[in-house]
Amino acid sequence: MASFDRRRINGPEESRPPVFEDDEDAEQISVTPKTRKGRANKDIRPIFLTTGLISEGNGSSYIETEKTKIACAVYGPRQIKNEPYNEIGNLNVEVKFSPFSCSRRRAPLRDAEDRSISVLIQQSLLPSLRLELLPKSGIDVFITIIENDGVEACVASGAVAASTALADAGIEMFGLVTSCASAMVEEDIWLDPTAEETVRARASFTIACIPALGTVTNIWQTGQLTAEEAICCLEACQTCCRDIHNVMASALLNSQAAKCS
Amino acid sequence: QKQLDPSVFQRLHPRAYLERFLSEGIRPDGRDPDAWRSVSINVGSVTTADGSALVRIGKTTMICGVKAEIAEPELDRPECGFLGNYINGNKVPNVDLPALCSPRFKPGPPGDEAQILSARLNEICVSSEILPLNSLCIHPGKAVWVLYVDTTCLNYDGNAFDAALLATIAALKNTRLPKATYNEDTTRTICSRKVTIPLQLQSLPLSASFGIFDSSHLLSDPTSFEEPLLETFITVVMDEKGSLSSVIQSGLATVG
Repeated sequence: MASFDRRRINGPEESRPPVFEDDEDAEQISVTPKTRKGRANKDIRPIFLTTGLISEGNGSSYIETEKTKIACAVYGPRQIKNEPYNEIGNLNVEVKFSPFSCSRRRAPLRDAEDRSISVLIQQSLLPSLRLELLPKSGIDVFITIIENDGVEACVASGAVAASTALADAGIEMFGLVTSCASAMVEEDIWLDPTAEETVRARASFTIACIPALGTVTNIWQTGQLTAEEAICCLEACQTCCRDIHNVMASALLNSQAAKCS
Repeated sequence: QKQLDPSVFQRLHPRAYLERFLSEGIRPDGRDPDAWRSVSINVGSVTTADGSALVRIGKTTMICGVKAEIAEPELDRPECGFLGNYINGNKVPNVDLPALCSPRFKPGPPGDEAQILSARLNEICVSSEILPLNSLCIHPGKAVWVLYVDTTCLNYDGNAFDAALLATIAALKNTRLPKATYNEDTTRTICSRKVTIPLQLQSLPLSASFGIFDSSHLLSDPTSFEEPLLETFITVVMDEKGSLSSVIQSGLATVG
């Protein structure tokens, strides 16, 4: 159901993703196991984070957590043209899903989901940056999602990648922003849920925080949670964020060491 | 005379900078004028795609993913393909140069360069007949495969076309399609999750790009620093049997 896009090579008017024969069996599987497959409830997926892959940008990072793969490039601070004078710098975050990143092909046009994730990541990063030092300037953060395994994981990993890339670009900030997602499955809190796990959960809770200052910059909650459960999720995520902060810091230190040697 | 930092000199006088290097017989990154950057290919990393490839030519990075969908063929070509905009049968190649890969690209719909790359890639796919048109047929007249081959540039350091073509071919080679059976009674196509069939590629076109500087130096595999200084570009596409698939020349010089 692709509309005709005159700037791209178009396929047939209508094409459907393949339907698999065992999709009926899959429903039975999702009902059964109550315990998490492969990890403990409070374990997050191992993070692989490097900087400097995109040489054209001022800063860049690439994050991979099992199946989620996100590349991020930062351009800035650079001059904003055609805008009136603004004392505070402008942060622009743009998220783009690759067409092959989801199990069903996405059209290359940016839609509402891309923009809502951009807003969430922008909100996560905004309180950490010293934008008052950059009048008349703009910082552009471009995030490309190469493979997507859960929207909450994308938001969390995207914020981590963006903050690392901003630090790699040398932009002054109060602290690194780390982000962690969690899901409420029955009565358990599962950290860093995959797409399948999120479907089974009754609520998801994603936070972004600055461990150096101990402040929270963004909370995104969907589903049904009581207030006490929400506070439990918050505390679980914050504890996890400190570990992620170590990963980010060591990735940045390694890249600096590689540059100096 | 005041000494200029080399990187400042590069920014202020790029042409003179390149001329100084070429007069010594090497290029700013240390290569000989006819040397290529090292190429690395990594296939199959994206699990959501039916086939994928990540190609690096020096610092230019392209990632290509193939997604297969099912569609009805055109009435007058029930076994193979589609005519019209996508004249190359059932493959829909597209190259995207997002704002991420270079400061010269702005966010938004594909600009001129991306559209030109997509169109050229489409031409190569048609003229080289990479896939026999009948190989994507599930059931004549009812269901055929459509392959969406999307290439995204992650880092643009010159020579995007070579990298895009290489990524497309590598991803197609890596693609495995699920075995599909068409049920006449329900008119639905059901695919198997367990049995996958690789694509039968007939030819593997590969390209080599060159640029001419100052009408006297032939530079192969130009970087993004050299590209704006070259007056002419030549790209030659050949397949593995050595037959010429396409020659593209753009710029001022004449080829004699």
